Amino acid sequence: MGEVILTMKDIDKSFPGVHALDHVNFEVKRGEVHALMGENGAGKSTLMKVLTGIYQKDSGTITYKGKETEFHNTREAQDAGVVIVHQELNMIGDLTVAQNIFIGREPKKGIRVDDKKMIEDSKKLFQDLNIEIDPREKMSNLTVGKQQMCEIAKAISHKAEVIIFDEPSAALTEKEIADLFEIIKDLRKKNLGIVYISHRMDEIKVITDRVTVMRDGGYVGTLITAESTKEDIINMMVGRVIYEDPKEHSMVAPDAPVVLKVEHLNAGKMVQDVSFELRKGEILGFSGLMGAGRTETARALFGADPKQSGKISIMGKDGQLHEVTINSPQDAVKYGIGYLSEDRRRYGVVVQKSVTENTTLATMEEYCNGLFINKAKEKKITEKYVKELATKTPSTDQLVVNLSGGNQQKVVIAKWLTRDSEILIFDEPTRGIDVGAKNEIYKLMSKLAAEGKSIIMISSEMTEILRMSDRIIIMCEGKVTGDIDISEATQEHIMDKATRNID
Amino acid sequence: MTKKKKSILSDQRFIVLLVIIALSAIFSFMSKEFRQYTTILSMLDFSYYDLLMAIGVTFPLITAGVDLSIGTGMVCYALIGGTLIRNNNIPVVVAMLICVVLGIAIGALNGVLIGIMNLPPFLATLCTCMITRGAGSLCSATPWPTLNQPGGWFHSIFKLTIGTGRSASRYPIGFLWMIILVILMEFVLNHTKFGRYTIAIGSNKEAAALSGINVKFYHVMVYVVCGLFTGLAAIAYAAVTPTVQPGTGAGLEMDAIGGVFVGGVAASGGYGSVVGTLVGIFVIMLLKTGLPYVGLQANWQQIITGVVLIVAVLIDILKEKKSAH
Amino acid sequence: MEKLKQNPIVKKLGLNRILLVCILVLMFVVFKVVLGSKFPVGDSIKSTLNYVYFLGFLSLGVTFVIATGGIDFSIGPVMFCCALVSGYCMTSYGVPCAAAMVLCVLIGLAFGVFNGWLVSYMSVPPFIVSMASMNIAKGIASVFTKTQSVSWPQSTDPVNGWFRNIASYNGFPVGLVIFLAMAVVCGIVLYNTKPGRYILCLGSNSEAVRLSGVNTRKWRMLAYVICGFLVGIGALFFVATYTTVQPGYGDQYNNEAIAGCVMGGTSMVGGLASIGGTVIGVFIISLLQQGIMAFGLGKGQQMIITGIIVIVAVYADVSARRRKN
Repeated sequence: MGEVILTMKDIDKSFPGVHALDHVNFEVKRGEVHALMGENGAGKSTLMKVLTGIYQKDSGTITYKGKETEFHNTREAQDAGVVIVHQELNMIGDLTVAQNIFIGREPKKGIRVDDKKMIEDSKKLFQDLNIEIDPREKMSNLTVGKQQMCEIAKAISHKAEVIIFDEPSAALTEKEIADLFEIIKDLRKKNLGIVYISHRMDEIKVITDRVTVMRDGGYVGTLITAESTKEDIINMMVGRVIYEDPKEHSMVAPDAPVVLKVEHLNAGKMVQDVSFELRKGEILGFSGLMGAGRTETARALFGADPKQSGKISIMGKDGQLHEVTINSPQDAVKYGIGYLSEDRRRYGVVVQKSVTENTTLATMEEYCNGLFINKAKEKKITEKYVKELATKTPSTDQLVVNLSGGNQQKVVIAKWLTRDSEILIFDEPTRGIDVGAKNEIYKLMSKLAAEGKSIIMISSEMTEILRMSDRIIIMCEGKVTGDIDISEATQEHIMDKATRNID
Repeated sequence: MTKKKKSILSDQRFIVLLVIIALSAIFSFMSKEFRQYTTILSMLDFSYYDLLMAIGVTFPLITAGVDLSIGTGMVCYALIGGTLIRNNNIPVVVAMLICVVLGIAIGALNGVLIGIMNLPPFLATLCTCMITRGAGSLCSATPWPTLNQPGGWFHSIFKLTIGTGRSASRYPIGFLWMIILVILMEFVLNHTKFGRYTIAIGSNKEAAALSGINVKFYHVMVYVVCGLFTGLAAIAYAAVTPTVQPGTGAGLEMDAIGGVFVGGVAASGGYGSVVGTLVGIFVIMLLKTGLPYVGLQANWQQIITGVVLIVAVLIDILKEKKSAH
Repeated sequence: MEKLKQNPIVKKLGLNRILLVCILVLMFVVFKVVLGSKFPVGDSIKSTLNYVYFLGFLSLGVTFVIATGGIDFSIGPVMFCCALVSGYCMTSYGVPCAAAMVLCVLIGLAFGVFNGWLVSYMSVPPFIVSMASMNIAKGIASVFTKTQSVSWPQSTDPVNGWFRNIASYNGFPVGLVIFLAMAVVCGIVLYNTKPGRYILCLGSNSEAVRLSGVNTRKWRMLAYVICGFLVGIGALFFVATYTTVQPGYGDQYNNEAIAGCVMGGTSMVGGLASIGGTVIGVFIISLLQQGIMAFGLGKGQQMIITGIIVIVAVYADVSARRRKN
């Protein structure tokens, strides 16, 4: 490890209603891989966005190569040699790979852009990185993993001195991850400073030199990886919240009937021949890497996206399974399925509308006399659920945009409870929700299951899967690769299956 | 991974070319008058301003925007230019320059409203459409100089006339300029920074901004280029319109925008081609010129242009839907 | 200012609406003071009301469409198409006046269905649909009437003169009563019924509404159908006050109707609509037209000023929204 190249000191940043960064410290040395860890919403990405000029800090200092610096946009940061490989891909689908890599700094030949040189240079970049991608291919034709590789190549092609990897492995296969680690080791040898953001403990142990932990927007501490144990890091990450132990065994009665049976479901590339059963009162966890096809399966099942084939059977009032046709969310809702999306703001709530309007959105007919809305009745049911779910809102007329993530989630849950949905699909139920509210959501889900609702829970957080599920379906590249009871489940076991059919 | 060679049959531009040939054949077969050289000559004459507007508006359409002010704008500039020639005796070349400058100015206004102030493109340009129409109607009906009057030389830019009277031979050299402009703008679209960033804005504006592109500047420039071509179109319009009438021009943008969509621009932005625009405009022009010869009265054109626009966009939407699977 | 906002009466009526009424009164006073005898109070109010009658229905209609986050700028030409085709049926084919009036509304409805179906079920961007149906409406009107203007019966007409009573009966403004009653109905539909709730919610976040099991396509289409219906009624009031309609026109009213709607606080982004605001906005726009004419300015200036008003109103909305997020 060399001298310190980048220091961030006392960084503070607030958004309306959120203290996102609370006097955070962070430093990177040349030739080190420095892990930045923390739960979802701990402030890691925000810190890196402040560093690269996407957000402006409220206070604190950034010292880069011995000089106090502030980047006002990504361009300035790039030019200075600080580049970020984003978690969300920032690629322009209609341009080619080479055009994407050199966008904003195209080599020129007279007035024309020198495409030939761009392609040559891209080829060289890919050779160095040992990746096989045709620079002339249109970006939208590549797989997510390949796109990620292009993003890395783009970052490296800037004469970068500090590279930030924001959860790069989330969408990669095991082989791609191994390749990525080789690349990172190589960069370390070249004396670059590398920031590596990840959730995965085993990766941290393999690749990083130091670990800085953040929690709830604050700085917790920095450890030397080789001298610390996994438990040390976890303790720092979780802090005051004591994680409940994983579920020991299934809470579902052995004779509980099957309420939903999915057979040979096919929908696009991401859902191939998926079959599973859901029993009454069960929480069925769906685990897998990002892009494994879990959300796609849920959306196809719910009728939100078209499907090619497959048989779906649902328990009717008579207690028997009946085959049903679900071509739209309308059909799904009719059969008693409710879907809580991972992206609440886009797919869950209508943020500019009130709590009441959101709560009764799926059950409008019940609150109408003919065409007219019975606003008193509507208000009554909303108040009932606000109380029952302990939703924190000043009134039922409050716009949902003003509620916190956890409370927005409760509004969505209330929407499906008014509908009396028997099957609830929770897609990443606690994403973007702070730690305290998380526990409330967990309790709520357990309670719903105990009352006989059946729950499908898609989650990328291993602790969540192990804590909540009665049974776990594991998916990988659009296929089901495992179906195990909670009593047999371990983290290693699940990870193994989640990367099963990847070479 | 090998680069997939696309079959020429899957290229919309090629298919549109076949449509042009088919339409020409049908019209020629059905009407003797249509086959005459003068018909072709007059069709070309009237295609220049449409094509110039269409080349310009191709760029906003690629960014998933639109410019509805091109039709009324073009007429407005032609009126102002003509009025200045009549009343202030300015040379024609200066009037032409004024047309272009006005085009650029209104284009820049559109660009600022859309790219910097973030107004929805159709609304911002609907307003500038009204404003230019209003401004145009403040002028009086103005003829530009005819071929034999002083200053009439500018007609020769588009149609070279050798000899006089009935025996004169006329050559549509404007078509040559159009081909050159199309090739030039196709080059600009595919091989310059400006073109590349136009596509990038249409494809994924946020990613383009995160890549360090000055998105605002290029977004404004897209409309400036569109305005520049509208200014050029004003000159071509003045050359073929005996007297430019104030208060007209609404609806002319439809032919241009319709042509671009026929040429295969993506309704959601991110893809387009100037060569496509060229062939697209000729489909519109053929229908406009040919239909009266086969017995449909002139007003049918409007209906047909509307239908053609919807059909072209529907084809694009259905294609996209199909490729999404 | 903050204190004023918290006042219960102000809160109930909405600060924006109170300000708009103040602007309306102020405008009237300023016109009177500046213009004096050129702005006779009685006549000016009467001509303002005449304008309000038809423009009000267009504005109410387009409020529903904008509430879904869409746009319809074919309303002006569609209104003319309704009046022309049904009027021509009456004058040339001897269709009874009452039947022609029904036909007029039905044509508006048909355009609403056409536009709504394309936007909602075929996913064609609303601005493209507007452009196309604007052309189609103008084309149909021209073809049908053979480009002749159509005059509806005068009030002195012994057989059909009665129809003018919908606008004014012995000087009593029946049209105003009908318009306000329609506004109340629209308000009830938008705020107190299931379709209205769905329209507002899907304008705000269409995907979330769809995933709640609501048939968003149906309800989105309904907004366009309601708009078409109201445009048809607007056409009746247009001919009841102005008698004669000419094919090929009507674009100007698009902007004025949208201006009234946006000025009244309906957001272009969708999800937020104010019927009360639209009503006041329509009055302001109508009064403005009378004022401009009283100043001795023509259609040109009218268009320019309306264009600028829409730009300012939409920019205010866009920047207010950005501040909130």
